[in-house]
Amino acid sequence: MNKPVASRWAQQFPQLGTDPVPVEALLSDDYFQREKERLFKHTWLKLARVEELPEPGAWKLKPLPIWDSSIILVRGEDGQIRGFHNTCSHRGNRVIWAQDGHGKARRFSCHFHGWTYNLNGELVHVPQEDEFFDSFCKADNGLAPVAVDVWEGFIFAHLDPQPAINLKDYLGEAAARLSGFPYGEMTAVYAYRTVLNCNWKIAQDAFSEAYHVTTIHAGSFPEGFSAKLYDVQLFGPHRTSAVYMDDKGPTPTPVAALSHRLGTTSIAKRGARVALPPKVNPTRSPNFAFELSVLFPNFLVHIMDGLYFTHQFHPLSVDRTLWEGIQYFRPPRSAGERFSQEYGQVLQRNAWLEDTATMEATHAALKSGAKKVMHLQDQEVLLRHHYQAVDEYVRG
Amino acid sequence: MSDDLLPAAYRHLTPWAERWALPTQAERETTRRASTAAQLKGFYDALVGQVDDIIAHLNAFPLDQMPAPEQRLLNLTLSLAEVAPHVELYRGDPRVPFSFEEERFIAEHGAAPNFNGDLYALPNRPA
Repeated sequence: MNKPVASRWAQQFPQLGTDPVPVEALLSDDYFQREKERLFKHTWLKLARVEELPEPGAWKLKPLPIWDSSIILVRGEDGQIRGFHNTCSHRGNRVIWAQDGHGKARRFSCHFHGWTYNLNGELVHVPQEDEFFDSFCKADNGLAPVAVDVWEGFIFAHLDPQPAINLKDYLGEAAARLSGFPYGEMTAVYAYRTVLNCNWKIAQDAFSEAYHVTTIHAGSFPEGFSAKLYDVQLFGPHRTSAVYMDDKGPTPTPVAALSHRLGTTSIAKRGARVALPPKVNPTRSPNFAFELSVLFPNFLVHIMDGLYFTHQFHPLSVDRTLWEGIQYFRPPRSAGERFSQEYGQVLQRNAWLEDTATMEATHAALKSGAKKVMHLQDQEVLLRHHYQAVDEYVRG
Repeated sequence: MSDDLLPAAYRHLTPWAERWALPTQAERETTRRASTAAQLKGFYDALVGQVDDIIAHLNAFPLDQMPAPEQRLLNLTLSLAEVAPHVELYRGDPRVPFSFEEERFIAEHGAAPNFNGDLYALPNRPA
């Protein structure tokens, strides 16, 4: 129908080149260490949604192995969300003992010697304080902060408490394009996670193109998604594109059709999609499936009318990745809407099971050294851009 | 009123409820994986012809305060959402074909009974 005209991305983005891409970046420990030190410790990372910290005192502990740290996110009495390393100022013990978790508190107290911090991270109580020396000053020994900022309800953090670039400028035009979507109204959440034995880029790559859909998703999504990407835009290290459906697809199966009648809960539903920012599906094509956006380095946001879903790929080591896939809908108001969500989110889960099927085998096979490069076609342009953007940080 | 009752108009589905009226997604998944293609088809065929009527019946009740028989009927219907792709798309395969190991996928909401999307209100939720 009125899909935009497909482009040759290599012509539009000549700076990306057309050569095969070396696989060393997926396998090398040395490369991974440089990603850790030069990339992940110098970019903003998404950690949570504001809905996870609904009121003053609400906290969440987010383990971030790529920062060699765990971050306490907490909403203060003033409503501000702050982030601190989970490390006591006394002798470095964990202040919150659980590896991860969440809760509500007025103070954080270390179980080792009882040093106590308020929600702003200030050290407010030290047992036997008078036994310490002049070299110790309570006011200088709050929890070590990280920078925290919020975009459209997504909480991001930066390891540097005074980062050279603020979140708004870091996200730049990518954020501008995706702003204005009703993220905050979509508070019904279905979240999945697993640890994948593969490099984080192998995992992320699989969600960054539509070329795989007709093969990998022949089971769950026979609807006829186009293998091409549309409206590819590169914004610094970030990137976005649109996925459309072909003009005609098979008639939906009975339960799929019922789910589509009861709600808009699946990328497989066709129809007018209008509750989108103006630059997303600008022609309001009924064949629009979703916007596929990558906020560098490791956070993917997919928006469409009625729902959005996100992926995040947390590197644990060169060959291990924590993946989180989360689907967000408006809270269901009836059993029918709940049923539609269940069908939509379960089918999407199944598609993610198909997506993740290849990743560990790919990493294992590449470790053989049998292949030194991978070949990317024009529709894998987002991968090409990703490798280039990562490499720019790694090489400094 | 007993907990194992369905609403009067749907009492005839009671034999299916025993296996499929399950309050958590994790139980619905596990039961689906432990079923044969014939069991999935039998359950699907029993429900698919009347699921519109079931939804219409359930829509008359507030989602978060369903009477026990209606909640049980909703849980039974959510099992249809879990099972339908396997009958309609995967040729009866009780697992997702060509997929990652399903048992390694953790649904953070999977163990929450009568879950309606309020993940961030759950106690003991992982980070």
